[in-house]
Amino acid sequence: MTEPFSKLFMKVASVRSAAAAGRTFLESYPVDEIIQKAKHGREALYPFSDLDEYGRALLGADIGVKQATRFATLDQIVLLPPIFTPRRLEKLTELQREPFFSDVDLETSIGGLRSRLPITMASMGSTEVAHAASPQLGRGAAEAGIPMGLGENIATVWGYAKRTKASMPSFKQRLFAYLDHLKGPHGGVVVQQSVEDAFDELWNKIYTDPDVEPYIRKGLVAFEVKLGQGAKPGLGGETKVARDVARSLKGKYYFPDDPDLSDQELYERHSAPGTFTEPILRAQLRSLRNNFPRARIWIKTGPFRDLLALLRVAQQERIDAVLIDGKEGGTGMSPVIALKDLGLPTLACLKRVADARVEGIGTPFVLSGRLFDGGHVVKALALGATACSFGRPFIIAVGVGGAKGILNFLEATEVEIRMLVSALGKYRAVEVGREDVGSLDRSLADALNIPFVYA
Amino acid sequence: MQKVLRVQAALGQATREYLDGQGFTELLPPIIGPVADPGTRGAKQATIDFYGREYKVMSSAILYKQMMAASLGKVYFFSPNVRLEPLETAGTGRHLVEFVQVDVEEAGATCEDAMARAEGLVDFVTESARRRLGDELSAFNRRLNGGVRPYRRMSYDEALKILADLGREVPYGVEIPWDHEEFLSKQFHEPFFIYDYPRGSRGFYDREHPARPGILKDFDLLYPDGFGEAISGAEREYEYGKVVARLRETGENPAKYGWYLDMLREGIPSSSGFGIGVERLTRYVCGLSAVWEARPYPKVAGVYSP
Repeated sequence: MTEPFSKLFMKVASVRSAAAAGRTFLESYPVDEIIQKAKHGREALYPFSDLDEYGRALLGADIGVKQATRFATLDQIVLLPPIFTPRRLEKLTELQREPFFSDVDLETSIGGLRSRLPITMASMGSTEVAHAASPQLGRGAAEAGIPMGLGENIATVWGYAKRTKASMPSFKQRLFAYLDHLKGPHGGVVVQQSVEDAFDELWNKIYTDPDVEPYIRKGLVAFEVKLGQGAKPGLGGETKVARDVARSLKGKYYFPDDPDLSDQELYERHSAPGTFTEPILRAQLRSLRNNFPRARIWIKTGPFRDLLALLRVAQQERIDAVLIDGKEGGTGMSPVIALKDLGLPTLACLKRVADARVEGIGTPFVLSGRLFDGGHVVKALALGATACSFGRPFIIAVGVGGAKGILNFLEATEVEIRMLVSALGKYRAVEVGREDVGSLDRSLADALNIPFVYA
Repeated sequence: MQKVLRVQAALGQATREYLDGQGFTELLPPIIGPVADPGTRGAKQATIDFYGREYKVMSSAILYKQMMAASLGKVYFFSPNVRLEPLETAGTGRHLVEFVQVDVEEAGATCEDAMARAEGLVDFVTESARRRLGDELSAFNRRLNGGVRPYRRMSYDEALKILADLGREVPYGVEIPWDHEEFLSKQFHEPFFIYDYPRGSRGFYDREHPARPGILKDFDLLYPDGFGEAISGAEREYEYGKVVARLRETGENPAKYGWYLDMLREGIPSSSGFGIGVERLTRYVCGLSAVWEARPYPKVAGVYSP
């Protein structure tokens, strides 16, 4: 092949592979379902369409799944409503009338933060897909009354108060896009700090910032030690940045291509995973308590094999909440091989949470990793999670309708959760338990110590 | 105010007299450098633009004094420090954003040696204040108790127990919060030590007991009657491998501390030392209600002032 030809070929091939990647996401992720919820809110909960509108349609459970999965997911778990519902009787007595799903109490305390729903907005980092939409994401989460995470490297890449790029918000603008829209007692912000952010003392900056002080005083600020991410446990952060940004960040991050020596549009930027042993982690957690006594301390971890050991440390060190991100978790950029081969599936993480609960560990746990509907939330709660964290659904929803898209999506999800919890004969999300779930798969049933539904 | 500043000058003199008499060399303090002490409760470091790169203003010169003791044996300096403290410290009466501490470090010394030295210094300085500054102090209506050596020594665990018995629970593993520390200090009328802080409650440079993992060879000296912390001191971690592991407690990349780690890799002797805040000492000796009364042009967290 002549040189121009080979270049053209490479370009076409790369475009085709990009299209293929996009198609794979559309096929494997319920993008359409989320778009419908973001557009129509709770109207989207019923599977009517123009062909089968209400009154003419005959509906029933879909017995297929879109595709065979490599590993078990929450879709292998079903909820098991009972006929006899003593808790519904309690609720009836309290209300002096038959209860409806609208009577379910979903308010949840997550690591000291009050949330209107057992849902948080997952930490999104400096990657442009999240960063560019962050003003709407923050506003949507605040107005919905759920806590929001702020991921790593935002301040280091986009500036703490002063923008590093005119068209992109700074860290503080992103923070206040959320804080400024909080209403009432719900919500709170959970801020991560990478090794590189630590170089710039991000947490100290926040903790001494007079603008943030009122929120610290109200207990609405948490600092989150990040031990890993679902999509790439054991690896640091990866993203791509423009040359000017790359130049200013050289020295703090690892750049395989030197932005001073090579001329490219975008540069791969890697941050370090950070080194921990149990004593190092304990000491770090204690220093955090010591240095920031009025901030709440959270841990975010990826799907590691020693999760249970971590959960024990979290309990002993009185950590406010631990967020566990399963291998199916979303990412702005991760190596294919990591997505494929690294880490425990979300359901396996949930099994560790269930084990921790059996041991009597009471720390609040937040689960994330390809969770996108009310069913996922209720099943996770049943197996010991305190709340769930969503990431990609919010990115899709914000793309569909800005902050309103997020509110619509959450409205739909809220109704789903209410319906499911009330169907279980319960009226408080925290009352959902192991007795409410069963497995479609026998070995999974054994592992989770829940009924095999066909037995 | 004039009286306070005259007392302060005399206290500085007495401090030099004591340390010089003990064979210490006074050095000029570093003001800026690539890194400063990360082990300061919640405070932010001040950053300056150093020809396009970042320098920190010393939040404490701990790393430098450890290196200088390695070379000169017994050293001290009057070190000006800047710590952009959290706003909540504005009301403690004990925190200044800009202050001076006498940084003392002695090669080969143990934690116990440093405690004895700290006690010797406070005793000498308060004794000389009583002797030489009687008139000034009576103008403040101040009767300085001093104390009988050796000062009372209680472990961190004992301090927590005393607080708990008085209805103030402090969770194990953190520094004693400021209000509890003040309360504890009010229970005593002579200076006293708290030693054996748990790992995680202090800076990475405080040495971990080789035989008691999780416990640090360090101490605080507290003034009595609610005046609170006077001195923080410790034996230092000085072995490269241990320091690298301890540095991770800050969540930072140890590469940031490159020059310091290079020196440790070459090998330096063990050392111990402490820092005593000059304004806090002045406040205690004069019996002032807040530390900002003990300094010209004081800077308090969040208050923009000359």
